[in-house]
Amino acid sequence: MATFTGASSTTLFSSRQISRQCLAPTRISGLKLVSFSQRSNLPLSFRRLQVSCAAKQETVEKVCGIVRKQLALNDDTAVTGESKFAALGADSLDTVEIVMGLEEEFGISVEEESAQSIATVQDAADLIEKLIEKTSTA
Amino acid sequence: MLPYVCKLCLNLKIHCIDQRMFCTSSLLSPLQLPSRTETHLWYVLPNEVKSEPLIKKYVDLLSPIEKENVFSMRGDELQKLALLARALVRTTITRYQICSHVSPRSLEFRKNAHGKPEVCWQHSDDWHPPPLHFNLSHTSTLIACGITIDSPIGIDVEEKQRRMKNNILSFARRYFSREEVERLSAISDPEVQRQEVIKLWTLKEAYVKALGTGFSGAPFNTFTIRFGSANPNPDAKDSAVVIVPLENQTNLTTNWQFAQVELAGSHYAAICRENDGISEGAPMKLIVRKTVPLVEEHCVL
Repeated sequence: MATFTGASSTTLFSSRQISRQCLAPTRISGLKLVSFSQRSNLPLSFRRLQVSCAAKQETVEKVCGIVRKQLALNDDTAVTGESKFAALGADSLDTVEIVMGLEEEFGISVEEESAQSIATVQDAADLIEKLIEKTSTA
Repeated sequence: MLPYVCKLCLNLKIHCIDQRMFCTSSLLSPLQLPSRTETHLWYVLPNEVKSEPLIKKYVDLLSPIEKENVFSMRGDELQKLALLARALVRTTITRYQICSHVSPRSLEFRKNAHGKPEVCWQHSDDWHPPPLHFNLSHTSTLIACGITIDSPIGIDVEEKQRRMKNNILSFARRYFSREEVERLSAISDPEVQRQEVIKLWTLKEAYVKALGTGFSGAPFNTFTIRFGSANPNPDAKDSAVVIVPLENQTNLTTNWQFAQVELAGSHYAAICRENDGISEGAPMKLIVRKTVPLVEEHCVL
């Protein structure tokens, strides 16, 4: 985790630069940071919003990877959070195999009702986050 | 001259009732709707549909929403599949020449409460629509549509050569019932085992689609498909198949009929429909037709 002690000795750091620095370590570690050692002009709620977006992006990327592998997509086929499984050519067997892959990757268990409601990569990532949070707080 | 011609005829493949025809649907002779004891299965091979003018004709049959869905698919191949699926269902239903005001373009569809597609007939005082049911399934190389009268229907097709990305028994343990996993685990040849997993998948999928309550309405591991030994004919295409619910669920019944067939030498197809109450225990009366919508069709024995 980067230290910001150097920044406190000067007033030249703008709030925008601080926010960039705050984001970098969270993306690498994937952890949710609650407090910073560095004084910042940004409101606490804004910083927390940046942190939770970064974690979801990593999840989305992992889901994209699993989907790519299952559907054997070309590198030039773009897969993002908005991508619909059906539009990528996933049939029912692909979908359940993807769910299985996600369960193994994230150590979760997906109910049939939840699996049925997944239409996009983002839906899958959101569900995974919800299930991980449930198992970690249980 | 005559004996030579006769010998030639005998060497030709025998087609049943409908001869190979190359004409538009308005010129094809009207086809009878299936009787209550029959099930019709139609299929098209996308690789055989290459004519650009024909593909354009298919686009013209679609509703605006269907066109939007087709063009939202990623890539030409997926768009063509989606287009052919809609063209197949529209032309197949109207192939039965139900009524003069029903044409492939005029058909409307809706989804039931659980998302299962059905025909939305235009009612009028002097015309009552037939109780026609349909279900679609496709892979990247085959699209199929099943038709019944007075019975819910579900179909599923899979490529025989389909490889699972997951370990085959892990997959079975995740989605199938314990009894089914036991049966599959006992198969020693890995290739036969893979085939049986795919075939069982299609049967279960066909059943759930026939029920029409969606994947979560009857989760796959809450029922077993058991092959009965009651069938006296070991060569029969279909086995006596029973559904064994794991719990006493009132919405699952054992009143369903199954058939398994191979299509085009490349696909397993499973068909599930309600027992008609007449042909209890007998194999499903299934008529299979290969088609290129608007162009040709012939029965496949």
